[in-house]
Amino acid sequence: MNKLVSIENLSLIYQSIDSETTALKNINLEIEKEEFIAIVGPSGCGKTTILSLIAGLIKPTTGEIKILDKVPNLKSNLCAYMFQRDNLLPWRTIEKNIYFGLELKHKNTKDNQQYALNLAEKYGLKDFLKKHPNELSGGMRQRVALIRTLSLKPELLLLDEPFSALDYQTRLKLCDDIFKIIKNEKKTAILVTHDIQEAISMADRIIVLTARPAEIKAIHKLEFKPDLTPFNRRNTEEAKQMFDIIWQEIQNEKDDKL
Amino acid sequence: MKKTINYNKRLRNPKQMFSKAHFDYLKKFRTRKLLISFTQILILVIFLLSWELLTKYEVVSSFFFSSPSKIIKTIGELYSSGELFYHAKITLSETLIGFVIATGIGFLVAFVLWYCDFLRRVSEPYLVVLNSLPKIALGPIIIIWFGAGSKAIIFMCILIIIIVTIMNILNSFTSCDKQLIALAKSLGANKFQIFIKLILPNSLKDIVSTLKINVGLSWIGSIMGEYLVSKAGLGYLLIYGGQVFNLNLVMTSTVILCVLASAMYFIVALFEKLMNKVYHS
Repeated sequence: MNKLVSIENLSLIYQSIDSETTALKNINLEIEKEEFIAIVGPSGCGKTTILSLIAGLIKPTTGEIKILDKVPNLKSNLCAYMFQRDNLLPWRTIEKNIYFGLELKHKNTKDNQQYALNLAEKYGLKDFLKKHPNELSGGMRQRVALIRTLSLKPELLLLDEPFSALDYQTRLKLCDDIFKIIKNEKKTAILVTHDIQEAISMADRIIVLTARPAEIKAIHKLEFKPDLTPFNRRNTEEAKQMFDIIWQEIQNEKDDKL
Repeated sequence: MKKTINYNKRLRNPKQMFSKAHFDYLKKFRTRKLLISFTQILILVIFLLSWELLTKYEVVSSFFFSSPSKIIKTIGELYSSGELFYHAKITLSETLIGFVIATGIGFLVAFVLWYCDFLRRVSEPYLVVLNSLPKIALGPIIIIWFGAGSKAIIFMCILIIIIVTIMNILNSFTSCDKQLIALAKSLGANKFQIFIKLILPNSLKDIVSTLKINVGLSWIGSIMGEYLVSKAGLGYLLIYGGQVFNLNLVMTSTVILCVLASAMYFIVALFEKLMNKVYHS
């Protein structure tokens, strides 16, 4: 067992002027190194909130998160976030965009820059380094965002619906690309998505959340042949069965609350 | 970023192979550009020529309307008596000092208000009131406080510029994409880093356009100030010329103002180009 993340009795209550909202309730989860976790659930249930908590962007009301036995904070270099939008800075070239994270962390050394450049080269961005983001396609830009994230050498990647702003074909292609990159670089990842098929195609385990206040409703372990790409996984019989199971779970969840 | 269009170079280079259509396209493009420049110059020439001729043959009175040749003559006279540089220097220095101080302080205040949300909310109503107040109304108070000299004029200039600068720049600072800020925060950036790496480059366009507006406002401020209290300067020449019905002097001062203000504008435009180069790489 090679434990990376442990979440214990996690709950979060949001305060606002009008009300107090329980967003998460009693979440317990352990994640191993190099595991790919997907979190799905009814919309608005607090999937993204879990990522923010793990990244240390917000503090839990009760409970504890530990990454390698340390409480995560923004200064530590354990997790890196990838958003739905690529958030590339339009005034910087692709190369400078890739260095953005390194600059903020004061780690913009020659070695780290070289590491980032090697990644960029390895994953087909070499010819675009001197271009500006508006000259690249959506899929390319999201790939740049991933390289920017990876150049920080994080232990844990937090992917917040990174494909949902893309068109369907690009999304399928990028799923394969990013899956390959994450597996190659031996990274641990948590993917939040509303797309059940996407979750099935990429994850080792899928966490299904209930409607708000979110609790863990089910955890599914996926056993695919290891050489299958996400695209290939989508077409297997297991994927179809799994889709039906998770679909039912989320559907029931919605009906319960009506 | 805008790419420079080297259509002239490409047209002249015979080694490059173009299709006939592309060649025609480039030619058409060039013709259009030339036509625009030509028309611009033509309008100026026609304007000056008709002004000169109409006043020369007294179709309109040259006393009330002056004329280009008289303006050139007056500039010559002012130049040889040393008055040209004397008055221009006074107004120019008042304008520049006012511009620099007001823009600088305005920028700093905007930064502080961006940094401290509490202060921003507290200052909001005061800024709104100060912004809508016509600054010229404070003329008498300024004269009493600063006396009838350059100090009062510079203060007037600053007063006219500073509030608009604060509001424009602050507005630009706060309009940075929330998601970009979220990204920077997730990367552990502190507020100062966010300012340098995100807010500032993001606001560059607005800052430059504020500078351009301030060029105009600073001239309004210094001329206004000189109308109120001065003993020298271009604004003084304008008032004086008007009072003694010397319209040559009035027109001449206006022309000199035009030249100086455009020169200042071009310097700001150059600064813009430089900044774009620094940030877009």
